[in-house]
Amino acid sequence: MIWIEKQRNIIDLALSSLLRKSGKNLALVIIYTAIVFILASVVFFISSLKREAALVLEASPEIVVQKLVAGRQALAPESYIDAMRGLRGTANVRGRLWGHYFDSTVGANYTIMACDDDAQLAAGTITIGRGMARTLSLKKGDSMKFDAYDGTSVDFKVGEILPYRSELVASDLILLRSDGFRRIFGMEEGSYSDVTLQVANRKEMATVAGKIKKLLPDSRPILRDEVLRTYEAIFDWRGGLLIVILCGAVLAFIIFAWDKASGLSFEERREICILKAVGWDTSEVMAMKLWEGAVISLLSFIFGIIGAYLHVFYTSYFLFGPVLKGWSVLYPSYQLIPAVDPYQLAALFFLTVVPYTAATLIPLWGAASIDPDEGMRL
Amino acid sequence: MGRGFHILAAAFLLSVLVLCGGGAGGALAPGKSDKCPVCGMFVHKYPDFLAQIKFNDGKVFFFDGNKDMFRFFFNLKKYAPERKTDDISSIHVTDYYSLSPVDGREAYYVAGSDVHGPMGKELIPFGKEPEAREFMKDHKGKSLLKFKDINPSVLKELE
Repeated sequence: MIWIEKQRNIIDLALSSLLRKSGKNLALVIIYTAIVFILASVVFFISSLKREAALVLEASPEIVVQKLVAGRQALAPESYIDAMRGLRGTANVRGRLWGHYFDSTVGANYTIMACDDDAQLAAGTITIGRGMARTLSLKKGDSMKFDAYDGTSVDFKVGEILPYRSELVASDLILLRSDGFRRIFGMEEGSYSDVTLQVANRKEMATVAGKIKKLLPDSRPILRDEVLRTYEAIFDWRGGLLIVILCGAVLAFIIFAWDKASGLSFEERREICILKAVGWDTSEVMAMKLWEGAVISLLSFIFGIIGAYLHVFYTSYFLFGPVLKGWSVLYPSYQLIPAVDPYQLAALFFLTVVPYTAATLIPLWGAASIDPDEGMRL
Repeated sequence: MGRGFHILAAAFLLSVLVLCGGGAGGALAPGKSDKCPVCGMFVHKYPDFLAQIKFNDGKVFFFDGNKDMFRFFFNLKKYAPERKTDDISSIHVTDYYSLSPVDGREAYYVAGSDVHGPMGKELIPFGKEPEAREFMKDHKGKSLLKFKDINPSVLKELE
């Protein structure tokens, strides 16, 4: 109890000492907060994107098979599907029709895809993503013109607009029937963009991919896990890029903090000596200074983390978003699912608070152990 | 650039397929607290190797691999002294390719393959014989066994 009471008094004094130098400390807190904010924003954003990608990919087919001609992707023939149908451990071997459609009027690239089951859509209708509907101000029942491969134009009616929750993937998506797809792009019956298949047992994926490669030597099987890894690498790369850009700011802070924390000013030295002259112990002086450092770094840490959380999950990452988001002209607008991993928080804490506190400790030791009489005479 | 882009584009589209997807059904699933009576491990973490023995009174034992299931089966005296082999109403194992439950007494088991379960070497079960034969070829299986062929000495070899 006595110990707690004593620490309370020391904290009291530390706080009033901080307030006395409020201008300088405030500047420190602001810069510190900004650094934590930036680091945490990048970490939160990248990890939530990764989580989102993993969630989305969870329900997707395990293997996508592309046909390669001279190292480029070509249309997969019907015979591909027939060849893979008998493979052990696979199910739902399907040809997919998909591609990109460039809309010159708004300069946007859409992803266009034929639905698995033509019965899901009425002939001549399309289902579009919310982002597209917004950009083109389309409503249900409106019609949309497509320029076909041969220069003619094809009319479609908007049958439905995709629900909000699928926005990250489907913002710029057009779904239509396969006959409509073939009409626009002039693709013949029996040819597909690629073929997907499901593999129930994950352990069997590599074996199945090996068999496909043997069966169809000109094919390229892509595993879902590979795709996920590619995504993660891309997100990491973008996050790293941003960190590199901001590296200057981080370095400046480190120098500033080091300078502030490690070199004690004349007043601080005097303060320590007076405390010692009135009977404070070296350990008590150190405790006070440590509390000061802890208050500054904890405050900054908490402000920075809260700021980053709001920034990433509630303002859709408006500060750095353009650097980290997609490659398409039509940016999908979406909200990430708010979630924070305690492991990340711990990592951020050890990257910011702990080094700062440690930096304050060493010079303090020196100052706190000098003779007060000598110190005040300086 | 071209290759990376195509892979990424395919990835993007992969995810879109969710919009037109479907689902699958299942049988008896273990709860989070169900432990394998033989090795004591939690079973729900290893759905790919799940095996189960059901008794006439409705009691179900879950196993994290067929090896443990057979150990239990051959040594009821040790693991469930109050029960008898005659009281077993059904045995289910998980088909390797489809991951759906199949009748354990009718299944085909491949021993000595390079596919290992949570307890190491395993008997890998299949609902159909041609599947088991192909698996043997792909995964260096040593022998194809029916339920009645499996005895404690077969299990000994899998240790």
